[in-house]
Formats: sequence, C-alpha cells, structure tokens
Amino acid sequence: MDLWHLLFTLALICANDSLSAGDDLLQWPQISKCRSPEMETFSCFWTAGNLYNLTVPRILQLLYKKSNEEDWKECPDYVTSGQNSCYFNASYTSVWTPYCVQLVSKNEVYDKKCFSVDEIVLPDPPVHLNWTLLNTSQTGIHGDIQVRWDPPPTADVRKGWITLEYELQYKEVNETKWKELKPRLSTMVPLYSLKTARDYEIRIRSRQRTSEKFGEFSEILYVSFSQLGIGCDHCTEEVEFPWFLVLVFGVCGLAVTVISVMLSKQPRLKMLIFPPVPVPKIKGIDPDLLKKGKLDEVNSILACHDNYKTQLYSDDLWVEFIELDIEDPDEKNRASDTDRLLSEDHLKSHSSLGAKDDDSGRASCCEPDIPETDFSASDTCDATSDSDQFKKAAEKEDLLCLDRQDNDESLPSLANTDLQHQHRNTQSENSHPWAPFGNSVESPHLSVHTQVSNQNSLASTDFYAQVSDITPAGRVVLSPGQKSKLGRAQREGCTEQNFTMDNTYFCEADVKKCIVVTSHEENEPHVQEQGYNEDAYFTTESLTTTVANLGASTAAPPSSEMPVADYTSIHIVQSPQGLVLNATALPVPDKEFNVSCGYVSTDQLNKIMP
Amino acid sequence: MAAAPARAAGRADAVAALALLWLLVCAPGNAGCHPLTVADLFDRVIRHSGRIHSLSTALYAELEKHFPPRDNELGRPARKCHTSGMLTPNGKEYAQKIPREELTHVILKLLQAWKEPLSHFNQHIEHHQELPDDSLSKAKQISNMVHELKTGVEKVTEKARFFLQVELLFLFPIQMQSMGIISNSLNGMASSEGTGLSISNEANMMSDSDFIHCFRRDSNKVQSYLKILKCRIMPENSC
Repeated sequence: MDLWHLLFTLALICANDSLSAGDDLLQWPQISKCRSPEMETFSCFWTAGNLYNLTVPRILQLLYKKSNEEDWKECPDYVTSGQNSCYFNASYTSVWTPYCVQLVSKNEVYDKKCFSVDEIVLPDPPVHLNWTLLNTSQTGIHGDIQVRWDPPPTADVRKGWITLEYELQYKEVNETKWKELKPRLSTMVPLYSLKTARDYEIRIRSRQRTSEKFGEFSEILYVSFSQLGIGCDHCTEEVEFPWFLVLVFGVCGLAVTVISVMLSKQPRLKMLIFPPVPVPKIKGIDPDLLKKGKLDEVNSILACHDNYKTQLYSDDLWVEFIELDIEDPDEKNRASDTDRLLSEDHLKSHSSLGAKDDDSGRASCCEPDIPETDFSASDTCDATSDSDQFKKAAEKEDLLCLDRQDNDESLPSLANTDLQHQHRNTQSENSHPWAPFGNSVESPHLSVHTQVSNQNSLASTDFYAQVSDITPAGRVVLSPGQKSKLGRAQREGCTEQNFTMDNTYFCEADVKKCIVVTSHEENEPHVQEQGYNEDAYFTTESLTTTVANLGASTAAPPSSEMPVADYTSIHIVQSPQGLVLNATALPVPDKEFNVSCGYVSTDQLNKIMP
Repeated sequence: MAAAPARAAGRADAVAALALLWLLVCAPGNAGCHPLTVADLFDRVIRHSGRIHSLSTALYAELEKHFPPRDNELGRPARKCHTSGMLTPNGKEYAQKIPREELTHVILKLLQAWKEPLSHFNQHIEHHQELPDDSLSKAKQISNMVHELKTGVEKVTEKARFFLQVELLFLFPIQMQSMGIISNSLNGMASSEGTGLSISNEANMMSDSDFIHCFRRDSNKVQSYLKILKCRIMPENSC
C-alpha cells in the first residue's frame, strides 16, 4: 500500500511540474504592460494565453478602478490600441491618480496591476530624421555631419507638458555594435569624424526626462557620403601607427648613441653614463700581483701594513702584546722536542728562536733590533727577503693558534701556513680560541704531517703538537700542549662552545678539546686527546689522512691525561724542508665531537668522528 | 456683435500699452533695469522645480533600496498622501482650462503644503543610521529647494501679476472677479497654513518611502503646472 502511495504522489508531482512549466502547456492571461506615450492617454496590453485551446473560449475583460473609487469599471475602448488592448483617452486619464486594472473573465481574475500614469510614460520615437554635411577633412577621408529630428508628434513638448530626452546611436553599416551618445535635450546633434568611404546607420529614441526607461527606436537613418559626391573611394586606408618602424629606428638610435658615448673622448660623459666599476684597491699592492698569484710578495706587503695587522688582530688584542720570554724553559723543552722530532741539532736555532720571540706581537714589524736571522716579522717586511725566510715566517705565523707554553711535550701539530704574523702563544694560558686569520684563505695551506714517534714520552705526548717555532734553518719547533690545563679548559670550553660545522677550517684546539672532553667523560680510551694547544689548528688534509692512533702509545698516560693519538701530517709546501710526520690512524673519536670555528674542516671531522 | 470688434481693438491697444510700459520701465541705458524678463524668471523657476523632481526621484529610489517595499504590489495605491484631498487639475486640458490665477494658486498651495512635512521628515530621517549620507543630504536639499521654489513662484507671480492684472484689466474684464479670488487666496495663505498643520500630522504617519513617493508625485505636478502657466502667461506661445 505504501508503495502505491509513493507512486501516486510521484505521479502527482510530475503532473504538477509539467503543468506549471512549459510554454506549450497552459498559460494564463496576463497584462503585459500599460503605457502612456504623452502623459495624456494610456493603454494597457495583455496576452490571452492558451486557455482558449483547452476550454470554452472566454471573453477577457479589463476592469479599472481609480484609487478613490470603489467600483470596477470596464475598459472604454478595446479597439484603438489594437487587439488585446485597452485604450484610455484623455477624458478617462487622470495623470497623478493611482489606477488599478485587472484582467477578468466572468468572475475569475487572472491578473491585476496598479500604477499611476506619470510613472508609465514611454514616449514615441522621434520622427523626421535627416542629416546635413558640416565639413570634411582636408584629405577628404573624414567628414562631420549634423543630424536633426523632430520630437514625437504625440508628445506636447511645445507647451512643455512633457520634457523629452533623446539618445542617438550610430554605427557603420557592416558593424554589429552601436555607438551611443549621451542623452540630450536638443533635437539636433553633430557627429564628427565619420569616414566618408563608409556608410552609417543612425537611430534615435526618447524618454521622459525624469524617468529611466526609453521608448522605442526611431526608424534607421542611412548616411552615405557618396550621395553627395564627396566620397573618397580612391583614398587609401588609414595607416596604422608604424610600430615596427618606430621600434627599429629607436633601437638603431639607441645603439648609435651608446657607441658614440663609449667612443667619445669625453671622460665626464663616459663616467656619467657608464660609471666605472670599482675594483679592489689595496694601497701599495699592485693588482697584477694578486692576479698572477704571487702570494709571497703580497703577503710580505700585507705583513708590513700596520692597518692590516691591526685589523687582523682586532679581536685578539692580547696577541699584540705578547712578548716571549727568552728564558722560558718551555722553549728549551720545545727545542729539545723539536730536535727529537726532526733529529737535528736545533740548539743554534733555538737561541735564535728565543731571540726571535721577542719580537712577536709588536705592532711594528719592521724594527731594526731584530736580528736578521730571526724569524721576525721584520724579516718579512724586507722586500728583499728571500722566499725561504718568508716561508719560514709563514710557517711560524701558522703557529698563531699555538700555545707552546702549555705543552710540555711536543707533538707534531699542524700549522696553517696562511698566517703572516708571528703570534706565539707560549705564555698564554688563555684558552681562547680564535678564528683563523682571514688571510689564510688564499695562501696554500700547510698540512703538516707529524709523526708521532713512540719514542717520545708518550705519557706526556699531546694529542697533537703545535709547531711552536720555525727555525731559520727551516725546521719546525714543535711544542706539546698542556694537558691538564687544557683538559680542564677543554671540558669547560667544549661544553660551552657552540660548535658550528661548516666547511671552514676549525681551530683544532677546540676540536681536540671536545674530543678530550667527550672521551674523558665517556672514558673511551680510543679518543685520544690530551691537553693540547688550544690554538693549534690543522689543515683539513692533515686531519683527514693522518689521524694517528696513539692508543698504544698512550697506554700509560697520567691519570689526568688522555692517551694521545697522533693523526696529523704536516705539509709545509713552501718550505724546502717539509716536515712529514707519519701519522698513525686515530680511531674515530666520539660522536659527540663538536667542532667549533677553527681550521678543521668538516671533512676532517667527519673522518675523526664516527 | 459690435462688442467683438471692439474687444479686438481693445486687445491691440492693450498690447501696445504693454509694450510702451515695458519700454518705459526697461529703457536701454537704464542702470537700474534688471535685464531678466518674466520669461527668464519662469525658466529659472521651472528648472528649479525640475531639479526638485529629479532629487526626489533619486531619493525615492534610494529609500526603496534600503527599505524594500511590501511584497504586496497592490498595496501601493492604498498609500494616501496628505495632499490627496487637494483639488488639482488632473491633466493638461484641465490645467489649460482653469484660470491662470487658480493655477498659480494651486502651485503655491502645493508648495506650502509640503514645507512643514519636509522639515519634519528631515528631522526624522536623520535618526536613520543605515541610510547613507547621500540620502540625508538629498532630503535636506529638497526641503531647502522647496522653500526657495515657493519664494520664486511668488516673485514670478508678482511680476507676472502686472501682466495678469493688466491683461485682466484690458482684455478680460470678466475675470476680475477671479483676481479678487487670487488676492484673497494669496493673502489668505496664513489661514491655509492651519490646514497645512493638520495635513502634516497625516504625513507623519506614513512610511518614509511612501512619503517621498507622494512628494515626488507632487513635485511633478508643480513642474507641469509651472510649464503650462508660463505658456499661458507669455503671450507669444499658443497655449
């Protein structure tokens, strides 16, 4: 039963839809519009609908009522306005009175509408359109015309009962879109710049001034210039703007201007238009030197520069004022270590080294009291200094990071050859790592391969030895780092420091510190890091290849010390005597090895670290 | 029958007299002579009333937008304007038929009837927060302009009265009675103001858009009447 109900309702709905929709089906009669052309009469029009087809033909009636009346009256005139219309003449029209009309048949009301006459005014179209020629252009291609028309005859504009506005539209004959002019009150309008070769169509419509709806369009007026014999059929078409030519000539002109400016002898003009690109200029240095790559000379020149020095050392003020104590016993030890390392007699050099140390850190690098043989910076100032000396100085300067005095034991350590200043850190116990000097970037790096021999007092061997000094003979004086101090410092420093891994060189001291710390904490024997010169730094190559394992050698370190692994090989490229220290493999240090800024590159570190 | 040619002759004399008077009053070179003619004054007044009608149309459109009308389209004619009771000519014919003085009187009466309700409306509409400032300024403008228009029409009729009276005197002696009507009605504006007050009470009860719709219709009336009046006063037009 429910199913039948459902089907029934569905059928009803469908029928309803079909009944309400569709033009082909039932359509009720309705009043389409009511219109007054001149505000004196009005007419109402309706559509009969297709009721007649379905039912007995019915007679439609239009009833009207004024607002102040009660009764509905029938339409007075069904004929004048055509079929399905009702015409109210002037006697039936009250302009400002509200009307209601309704379409009825017998007693059934189909539609109803209420309005007042002044609101339904739609004027008739203007009549008697014509045009006259005003003038033509000199070439005869364009012309101006004046269009005139008369207001619709039904509208009484003369007495002013109704005021009309007119809108004119025109177009070329073969166009589709009409051009519109603004509505205006006058009955004439000029049209400018029409093409005489074309024909035009004009139409006008009107509306009451204060309303918005327009009436119907007038008949179309055809404008043809050829009628007057002024058409210019042989005239060429309007040439469009020659963009291509403009572009070509513009480019050529610009190129000519540029070339002329460049070739001109006027430097001012040239500078104005083509300002010179600033090139790097360093006083006293010939840029050609830089280009050719003669870094020795460049370095020497730069080393002389006070400004340069101060700039470099700005962060490390203490460095400037370091004075090495000749009498320092560590130096003697160093010397001895160096001797051991190099198997040479460096006593001679030691003294000179000692003397040399006096000069380190002095602002003036060209002081005469420095013995020539010394590896003072003053030597490097000398333009005539040989490259050897310079190299040695460079080697020495690599030791900036070195802290010789801290180390009792000398271990080979890597030295960065890029340094051009002698900074000896012998007496400084400041565990202050500093970033390598900027000038290190260009010069080739020394990778010092150090060979840690087990002969050395391994108990006191550092993880790596710093090259504390370079003898005039070209030997590297290595000094061990200070373990205990450094150990402490390392622990402190390492945890505090925030190591950043990047591909620059790291201060090996920092690296080692951390290694020591972590290893110490974790008590792993293979992380070999004893006190080391915090300022020691290694080149990447050295770290990479020659990390040596001092595990065996550090079998008997002091309790506070870590077994040291030698891992570095120092290459002093520019030195005639390269220090090659064989390195034993260093086990990979602890994972928590963090690298701070220094000269240890990440590659090195990665190899150190697991 | 003899009276007809006599009347025609009288008419010609009147025209000549008018022309003479006009020349005397407004002789060229006379510094105090105002160059504005009655026709110019009429044009001004008609333009003024046209502007009022445009403003009220625009205001009505805005009010319709903000206060949508009732859905019942048929409810519209039920709106009763407070001036619905006034007898005004409903078409061009009637406007042409009634004496000009009466037409003038009707115009002035209409303007007077709207003076106070408009000021009330202005005060009332200022409290409407949702209306844009544009609408409020329009309403204010309308009430000012109505006042100006009334003054203008009075001045014009003052000036035209010369013509009217002269014309009446010389041309239409029968109409002199209506002259008295006019003067009485014009001077008796004070009495009609009493009725204006009661009318305004009705106006307050309407909605805003209905109120403006009523005014719009009446402004259209005023404009049309003025045009016909001008046409009728100026002798050159064949009204």
